[in-house]
Parts: sequence; C-alpha cells; structure tokens
Amino acid sequence: MLFSSMFNEVMEGSLVRKPYNKVFNWAEALPKNIILQKQIQAENLFKKIGVTFSVYNNYDVSERLIPFDMFPRILSAAEWSKIKKGIYQRSLAINAFLTDIYNSAEILKAQILPEELIYNNPAYDIRMVGFKVPKNIYSPIIGTDIVRTDQKDFKVLEDNCRTPSGVSYMIENREIMMRMFPELFESLKIETVENYPSYLLDILRSLAPSKCKKDPNIVILTPGPLNSAYYEHSFLADMMGIELVQGTDLFVDSNITYMKTTQGARRVDIIYRRVDDEYLDPLYYRSDSLLGVPGIINSYKTGNVNICSAPGAGIADDKAIYTFMPEIIKFYLAEEPVLKNIKTWRCFNKKELQYVIHNLKDLVVKEVHGSGGYGMLIGSSASKKEILKFKNKIISNPNNFIAQPILKLSTVPIFSKNRLAQRHVDLRPFSLIGHKKFKLVSGALTRVALKKNSLIVNSSQGGGVKDTWVLSE
Amino acid sequence: MLSRTAENLYWTSRYLERADSIARLLEVAYRISLIPNTQEGYNNEWESILATSGIKQDYLTSYKEIKKEKIEFFLLFETDNFSSVKNCIEKSRDNIKMVRTAVTLEVWNAVNTLYYRYQEYVNKKYSSKELPEIIELIKRQVNLIKGTILNTQLLNDGFDFLTLGNYFERADFTARIIDVKYFILLPSSSFVGSQVDNFQWSLMLRSVSSYRAFKWAYGNSEIDYIKIIDFLILNSQCPRSLFFSVEKINHHLTRLKKIYGEKTASLTKINMLYKTLKSSTVTQILDEGLHDFLSKFIKDISSVYQSVEKKYFMTSQ
Amino acid sequence: MIIKISHKTKYFFENTVPRLIQTLKLYPTSCKNQKVLEWNISSNKGEILNSYQDSLGHNIINIYIKNLNGQQEIKSEGRIQTKNFFGTFFGLSDKVNPLCFLRHTNLTYPGKNIVKLSNKIKKKSNLIEFCHYLNLVVSEAIRYKSNTTNNNTSAEMALEKGEGVCQDYAHILISLSKYFKLPARYVNGYLVEDENTKEYFTHAWVEIYIKDLGWVAFDPSHKKCINEKYVRISCGYDFIDASPIKGIKLNYMGSEELSYKVDVNSIQ
Repeated sequence: MLFSSMFNEVMEGSLVRKPYNKVFNWAEALPKNIILQKQIQAENLFKKIGVTFSVYNNYDVSERLIPFDMFPRILSAAEWSKIKKGIYQRSLAINAFLTDIYNSAEILKAQILPEELIYNNPAYDIRMVGFKVPKNIYSPIIGTDIVRTDQKDFKVLEDNCRTPSGVSYMIENREIMMRMFPELFESLKIETVENYPSYLLDILRSLAPSKCKKDPNIVILTPGPLNSAYYEHSFLADMMGIELVQGTDLFVDSNITYMKTTQGARRVDIIYRRVDDEYLDPLYYRSDSLLGVPGIINSYKTGNVNICSAPGAGIADDKAIYTFMPEIIKFYLAEEPVLKNIKTWRCFNKKELQYVIHNLKDLVVKEVHGSGGYGMLIGSSASKKEILKFKNKIISNPNNFIAQPILKLSTVPIFSKNRLAQRHVDLRPFSLIGHKKFKLVSGALTRVALKKNSLIVNSSQGGGVKDTWVLSE
Repeated sequence: MLSRTAENLYWTSRYLERADSIARLLEVAYRISLIPNTQEGYNNEWESILATSGIKQDYLTSYKEIKKEKIEFFLLFETDNFSSVKNCIEKSRDNIKMVRTAVTLEVWNAVNTLYYRYQEYVNKKYSSKELPEIIELIKRQVNLIKGTILNTQLLNDGFDFLTLGNYFERADFTARIIDVKYFILLPSSSFVGSQVDNFQWSLMLRSVSSYRAFKWAYGNSEIDYIKIIDFLILNSQCPRSLFFSVEKINHHLTRLKKIYGEKTASLTKINMLYKTLKSSTVTQILDEGLHDFLSKFIKDISSVYQSVEKKYFMTSQ
Repeated sequence: MIIKISHKTKYFFENTVPRLIQTLKLYPTSCKNQKVLEWNISSNKGEILNSYQDSLGHNIINIYIKNLNGQQEIKSEGRIQTKNFFGTFFGLSDKVNPLCFLRHTNLTYPGKNIVKLSNKIKKKSNLIEFCHYLNLVVSEAIRYKSNTTNNNTSAEMALEKGEGVCQDYAHILISLSKYFKLPARYVNGYLVEDENTKEYFTHAWVEIYIKDLGWVAFDPSHKKCINEKYVRISCGYDFIDASPIKGIKLNYMGSEELSYKVDVNSIQ
C-alpha cells in the first residue's frame, strides 16, 4: 500500500487545506527547543493528573501513560455535521435493532440477516427476550470508530456498544492543549468538549426505571482499579458528581438495589456499568464472579433499577452484525446510511470465504468477537508463515472471522523528533442517546499510529492520541 | 460518602502510620547497634520489634535465627510479612488509588512519591549500609503526606476517616510496644535506679520517638518508671501517648456524629474510654496491673473500631 | 391425572449467613398439558417475593434473608392436573427462539466420546423417528447408577464413565441432539414412578425442538416420551442453568448441607 494513496488531511498537493491553515503555519514556525519543552510539559501534566491506562500481559498489570501528540486533528463544521448526522442515524438504528431482536424479531422474519447469526451468538442474551428495557434504549453510549478515506468520505469501521472507552482522553487532551497553547484557542473558533459529563448525566437521567419516582440516584459501576479504563471511570464519576462503585459497594434486598454509604444504605436507580455482562450478577451469569452484584438482575427485571447498557446489548457491535449495518439502517429507518461501512467479507458465506483465503495478503482479518486490535491479521505486513497459520484458523472456524481491505487510514502530522511527519489516524466520537434525546459533543478521540506506516492505532499496541478540534465555522 | 471510600481513606493512613512506626523501631535498633557491647540489649530490641508487630513466629519460621540484616530485610521488604514496610506502603497506595477523587492531587502525589521512591529500594538487593537513608526516606515522606493532608484536604467526613486510621493504628501500636516491654517498667527492688534501668528506659522512650519529648516535658530530672508510664499512657501533650490517640479518635467520631446527625455505638465506647483515661492515675494503673491494663486497652480500642466498621463501612452487609 | 406433590428442601448452615439471596424456579409450567390446580411455595425464613416471569416462562420467585441462623426450609406443594400429549406441548409461554438452544455449554459440549457415539448413528429423514432413535441410543449408552456422577459431570465425562443418573442421560441426549443440529434443552420436574418406587421423584429429561411439531419431551432414562405422569417445572441449557433453586451467600464462612424430601402421588 502506497503511503501517498491515503488521504492527507492537511495537505492538498502543495497547499494546506483550509481547516489546517493556521495550525500548520504555527506548527512549522515552532522552534525545535520549544517543541521539546512543550512535549515534556505535556507529559508532566498527564503524569500529574494521573491519566494512565493499564496494559495486561500474563504476569502483571502495569500502568502506562498514553503517548500524546500535540499537533491537533481538525475537522471543519461541515465535515462534523455529516459525521453527526451519520452517528445519530446509527444510534437510532442500533437501538431499534436491539429492541426488535429481543422482541418480535421482524428483521429476521424479513430475512434481512440470517437467524443463526443472532440466535447462535453468545452475545445474544436469551434472558433479555421479551423484557421491556426502559424507554427501549439498550445502548445509550456508543463509541463509533470512523476512518477517513478521502476528501468527502468518512466510513465506519466499528460500532462499540458495550463499554466504549477513551472519552476521558478526549477531555484531558483538550485541557492540556488549552493550558499549553492558549493563543491557538484565541485565534480559532473551536467547539468545546467539556460538556460531555453533563450530557451523559442528562442522558442517563432520562432512562430512569419504571419504579423510580424521584430524581434518580445514578452510579458508575467499575470492575476496579485493575481495569485498564479505571482512570476513566473515576474521571467520569468525578466530573458528573456521582459515586464510582464496585460490586461490593452495592447490594440488593427485596429486589431493590442499594449502595453502602457512611450514612447507611441508599437506593440506587441507574447504573452506568463498565462491567461486562457475564460478570454482572453471579446469580445469573458466572457464579464465580466477584465483580458483580448478586440479585441485580432481579432488581433490573422488576423495574427497580436500570442497567446501562442493557445486558445483551453487545450483540449490536458484533463484527458479523456490523456487516449488516447498512441493511439494518434501511430496515428500521427507511433511509440510506449517511456513513458507509468499510467493504467487508463475511467468512461464514462460502463464496466470500473463498475470496478471503485466496487474498489474505491484501486483507485485514478480524475475529468476530475480538477487540483492541488483538487476534487480527494484517496481510500486507504478515510473514508467509503467519498467513498460512491464520488461513488454517479461518478455515477451521469461518464463522468467527470477517475480512476487510487494508484500510486507507488518512494521515495527519505528528511532531516527530522535532519535525512534522505524517502518521495514520482514526476517529472515535462518543454519542449519547436517551429518551427522546441525542447528544454528541463536537469533538472526539483521535488515535494515531506513532510508528511510520503503521495502521494500528490501539493504545494497547503503541498508538497515541491527539486533541480533536471541530471548528464552529 | 460511599462506605468503601471511607474505608479506603481509613486504611490509607492506617498503613502509612504502621510503616512509619516500623521505621522508628528500626531506628532505635540501629542506634543500639552503634553502641559497643550491647549484644544482649540489641537482641532484646530486635525481639521486641518482632513481638510488637506480632510477627515473631512468622519470622522464626522463615529465618530460624535472629540476625540483624535478616530482620531488617524482613521488616522492610519481606513480601510474606504482612506488616513489612513494603507491604504497608503498597497497601496504602492501593487504598488511596481506589478513592483518587476523594483526596487532593497533592495528597495523591505525595503517596505516589513515597511509593516510587521506596520501590527503588525494593528493586535492588538490600544492604544494611542503606538502613539509615531508608529510615530517613520513610519518616520524611510519611510526614510530608500527613502535612499535605492537613494543608490541602477539605475538612469534611473524608478527613475524619483519614485521621481515624492514623490514630487507631498509633493507639494500638503504642499499647503493644509498652506491653512487650512492660517488665522494665515494673518496680523491682534489685534494679531500681541502676544503670541498666536508665538504659532500658531511654530505649523504651526512643522506640516511640518520645525521648526528647520526655525531656521537654519532665525537664532533666531523673527518668523513673512512674514518669514514663504517665508520659506514654496519660500525658495529653505527648503525641504518642495512648490518651492523645484516644482524644483524637473521640474528637473525630464526635465530628462524624455532628456531620451525619446520628449517635453511634463507637462514639459511646470511645467516650467511656476517654473519660476513664482522663481520670486515671499511674498508681491506679499499677494497682490494676500494667499488663492487664494494656490488654484491656487493646481490646477496647479494637471494639471501638469494630463499631466504626459496622456502622460506617457496612462490612457486614 | 391429578398429581399431588410435596417438595421440601432443607439447608443447614454451620454458621450465621449474613445475607442470602435465592432465585427459585419452582412453579410448575402452566400450559394445556398441565393445569395447576393449587400450588404454594413457602420458606420458613425470609419473605417470598413473586418477582417476574422470565423469557422461558418461569415465574421467578426471590427470597432475601439477613442473618440466617441454623436451617432454612423451602416447601412447594400443590396439585396438578395433567394430560398425555405424547411428549408434545400446547400453550407453553416461552419467548425464546428454539435456535438459541443449539449453543453448547460446558456440561453439554461434544467431545470425542459424543462424536464417537454419533458416528454409530444414521440420520433418518423423519425427524420424530430420528429423535426417538437418539433417545434410545442414549438410554443404552450408559448404565443407571447413582452416586457415581455429580453436579459437575458433563455429558462427555458421563459417557466416559459409562454410568450415571437421569441428569447424565439428559446431558448426553442434549449434546447429541445439538450435534445433529437439533435444538435441545434440559428439563426439571417430577415423575410418578410406576414401579420400584424409589425414594425421590425429582426427575430430569430433555426437550428437543422438531420443526412443525415444536418442543417434544424425551426421557432417555426411561426410553420414552413423557406422558401424564410427568410434571414440568423448569428448563434451561443444562442442569446448572435449569436448576430450580439458586442461591448466593454473601460474606459467609462455613459449611452448608442440603437435604430434601419429595412426595409425589397420583390421586386419580
């Protein structure tokens, strides 16, 4: 894949694209020693705030700072407006889809997608069938991974409906940029991102369970400090002014959920959970789970508490379901998708499987249930041996894989050894959908592959982040 | 406030205080090792340290013999020793990490600094030569953390729990160390006024970092056991005395009662303990028997803690 | 037939249990095959809460007990009127698509023993006949023997052992059915024994989904379909999923013992 064939977000030939005009000139004019000095300053600020993420290997959990690059990613108002429209459409479609497959399953009757894809999918939770989820919102918080392929087109790479993380970086990145380069914010009109926590609170508040009659008590449920996104959990709780709880802080009595406080038991109405389905309630899911709350599902099913996202909502971000998103949007909304999917081959389809195994060199193959860039093959950079090994893996369980062309991720410069160098980026906006409400802050997390030519932007595999600016005009 | 938040704050400072106490004990032992011909006193001192921390048996199982360098390592770095300074610092940090947003950034940074600085010693082979600088590091950083708490924390219920952990630990620790050495405080005709006594008593005071304080409080008059008992148990100015800790616990539980508007069993209990100590005299304590008095005190303090735990930490729920 | 049932489950706790939470699926299925004339569930400790109906049609009951001392007895008793529909069902209030029951669980995962057994089986075009045939094969695959297997014994392990109880027969049949792409699930219930009256009457069997016919119940430990002598209580993926009483003890240190007594009598 030729580097030059990918969309360069900053340069159009020898000219600088309009949104980047000022910033590019500013960046080029920055003296080397200032860049270095600012980079150290940024790192110290992050360290001081304690923004870290945990990296897992087999033996230990260690904390690391996520690398931050100071060159901002910039989107014009018009570009953002298209993204926003597309994300809104997808959030509606995803929740309509979840409501449908857990109730009358019209989309399956209409044979838009194969029954087996839903019913034989472990992410489809049969306990949720026929249960009325508050306001029919299963997945209020969605992180949409978007890649830019050319001047006009933004394409969706993945929908994250379970527990998308990264929103704290979006806010902290901005905070640090504003502290370091206030002059840029004076001269450009940049939309704020700091209202995300209040938006989230507003959205969750609209999803109170049926038996909650007063102002709902909302908490964030975290698996604990060993979780890689723990910093984000505590950050959000702090910004929202609500409690960050672990399983042992809650208990259920007579189907009502309480939290333990120094002033006694206090009723809980809405749980924004960052704990996976299978750990939620040892009475219903994994009985060895120590992270969950025994009886919480009873409380949920009897309308005493709402769990966001709903158990079983994860099926909507299954990569095999993703391939049907355009059809899903058309089916529920009778609209054409605003944001297109990446061309995807479904290995469960025999014909497509044949194509995939014969063209592995030019494809990215992903596990249907995998995440975080693990368990994938990038054909162009894999050895012959690796390709052969992966081929056998696919053939032995084709249902478990999808394939996509090697992505043409757009590029934005980073400060590399004191000068600008093009690197690949993606974009993750965080949308919020509640009862008759949709909120999207004008900003997102831009992940950047720090290694030259690398297409992997995941922080767990050496990616970094950038502040993302949406211009207000 | 979430019960666990209160509990984490409590244990953050309780473990810090324990790390500090152990460092101070080590300092005394180190001091003796610099004095010639005190092999016996030296061994006694080490045994006292192990007995005070309640880990003598653990130590003997792992190491068989009382040996200076091994004991130092055991107390400072041994992972299997529940109360080693290493474990205390790690547990303190683990606790505060869970409640990051309940403390100021400065407090978090101070705890983190202690952790990372101490980690440098954890990661290399221990040499006895470094003992003074390690002790110095622990003492300095713990003081820094405590000062930062006082200087930056909002004086809300979280502050009360942070302080309670400190004084519950100190009350317990001081009572245990006096108990371990109670025999040297007993009037025995053959020893009174002898060189041995003076030496033992000064060690006793040093092990709770109160030698100088004692001198300030009682001038340069001769040390005697009555003054020492009075100083370490009943004196309201000595920050290491049992009375001082009890008064602090009483104060903070009273504040919690005011904040939450609810009377608790823990407050009733500490109130009683406070009043008893306030009206006690050394003679009464000696009549009761020093050892019995201390055993009862340790039990009473633990009972107050259990009430705190049940009421505020809701651990039995 | 009218069947009278009394089912007592007793838990003995060595120490005080600070908090106990239970989920009960002990209410007989209400459908045309079986009419619940009278049914009562009680516990000597804690309050019985009728919580909700789950997706498989169970009326879920919850019990929350604080500081439980000594023992707890859960009693369910009543009368059921049953009809024989030769294994088929009418009026099940089950909302889950049968295809979901093609998923495997640890207890029903087909290993080399199941595959070996399946190799001996010839697929028949008539699905009903085929299921009867599977039922027969399973009934002869192991010998009935109590106390050789336990709650954690999988289909694969029971086959390996060559013996087991109704639960093991059921797991083997479920595993085998799924292997042949027939949805299958585990059922708990009561059985009025014809002969050799045994001490207990709680029983387990299997439902296999047959296109156009719906769920059909087979009893591999008795080589037949169920009839009016069976009372259906709960179903699920396997023994653990279908179990009628599940409990979680919080902050409990100590042992627990279980005893139960079931009386099942036909009146007519």
